[in-house]
Amino acid sequence: MIMLHKLLLFILLFSVYTSSAQSIPDKTNPPRLVNDFAGILKSSEVEALENYLVKFNNETSTQVVVVTVTSLDGTDASDYTFKLGEKWGVGQKGKNNGIVILIKPKYNTDKGHAFIATGYGIEGAVPDAIASQIVDNDMIPHFKKGDYFGGISAAVNTITQLTKGEYTADEYVKKHKKTGGYVQLIVFVVFAIIILIAKSGRGSRTYSSSGSSLPLWLLLGGMASGSRHHGNFGNFSSGSGGFGGFGGGSFGGGGAGGSW
Amino acid sequence: MKHTRRLRWLLMMIITLPLLTSCGYNTMVGLEETVGAQWAQVENVYQRRADLIPNLVETVKGYASHEKETLEGVIEARSKATSVNISADNLNEQSFAQFQSAQQGLTGALSKLMVVMERYPDLKANQNFMDLQAQLEGSENRITVERQKFNDAVKNYNTKIRSFPQVIYAGWFGFEKKPFFKADEGADKVPQVKF
Repeated sequence: MIMLHKLLLFILLFSVYTSSAQSIPDKTNPPRLVNDFAGILKSSEVEALENYLVKFNNETSTQVVVVTVTSLDGTDASDYTFKLGEKWGVGQKGKNNGIVILIKPKYNTDKGHAFIATGYGIEGAVPDAIASQIVDNDMIPHFKKGDYFGGISAAVNTITQLTKGEYTADEYVKKHKKTGGYVQLIVFVVFAIIILIAKSGRGSRTYSSSGSSLPLWLLLGGMASGSRHHGNFGNFSSGSGGFGGFGGGSFGGGGAGGSW
Repeated sequence: MKHTRRLRWLLMMIITLPLLTSCGYNTMVGLEETVGAQWAQVENVYQRRADLIPNLVETVKGYASHEKETLEGVIEARSKATSVNISADNLNEQSFAQFQSAQQGLTGALSKLMVVMERYPDLKANQNFMDLQAQLEGSENRITVERQKFNDAVKNYNTKIRSFPQVIYAGWFGFEKKPFFKADEGADKVPQVKF
């Protein structure tokens, strides 16, 4: 009985601790690319942005997420955005091609903040200086007039233009499929020839089992890894209708922001 | 005599072997490697900041040539900061403190420079300077993020080697507690790069 009490207390304390430590919102279920927590966009605007970004994600595997919040809970806009991106896992694992656009609207005397966080893999396509210019030129002038949709869509437009060439999921898949297939075929043919020669060879020469078993293992290994590859890349194309979810990308502090 | 010694060896082998394979030796190696990799990231982002400085100083010089003292302070702090390099195997309290204080010196010199820049509206309007400013802010952000990730990695590692049963034998294999970043005294604030 005492044990149970202790356990309950522990769970309670633990949940209080974790909830106070994390002011970053959880991702919605099912996950969405446009998350208007602050309610500054019309539902038709959210839909338009969402559709555009889902399409962009399916074509390029690059994930651009728009998040609006009513408060930053006293943290820096930069810190808030990195943590959100890291927590949600925006971008693909390994490529780290995620972008988070955070907007905290201006409320009377409470300053407005905007921040664009770039994943490790995006820092080359959208350097900090460019991100800063997007915030200053595309977003803040609109935001000052209260036109949040205008600012967000201008920024999204610029960002998708800049990152378009960086990652192309389909081409990547195609390229790997082709080379993988050819290599396996060639290895198989060579292997078959070796076996044929070995079998027809005279008894004096021993093509020992150790000699031929090595390529067999290599071949098996190659086939196994080949099929694993296909499985991985297939994930991107599977979600052609809706958004398939975040990929576990990581953020290293790239990006820039501004306030108005 | 000989027999007992051999027996003792055998016993020790029997006891330690399962410990090595199943009780976290490999995990400790893995965690230590993660710390090392994350340390490289930390050095990377500090280096990135240092690399921005010559360009920044050149740009500022063109507009505020008589702020010689401040500019020289930055250059000096930079050379001091880049001269302190520690490899991941060498991470101990002392070398770590040295690294941190050198980098902190540069942070301080930079924030002083940024305060001085307030007085030069022409410089603030210069696109090249604005880009540099964004890059510098980005560097400071990266430093914050990578330091956090490094601390997390160290925390995982330290927790592992100090918990049972690893605490008994972690020391035998040279797994030692690693230092982590503490908030810089009073200077933890990212230099205020406001214009």
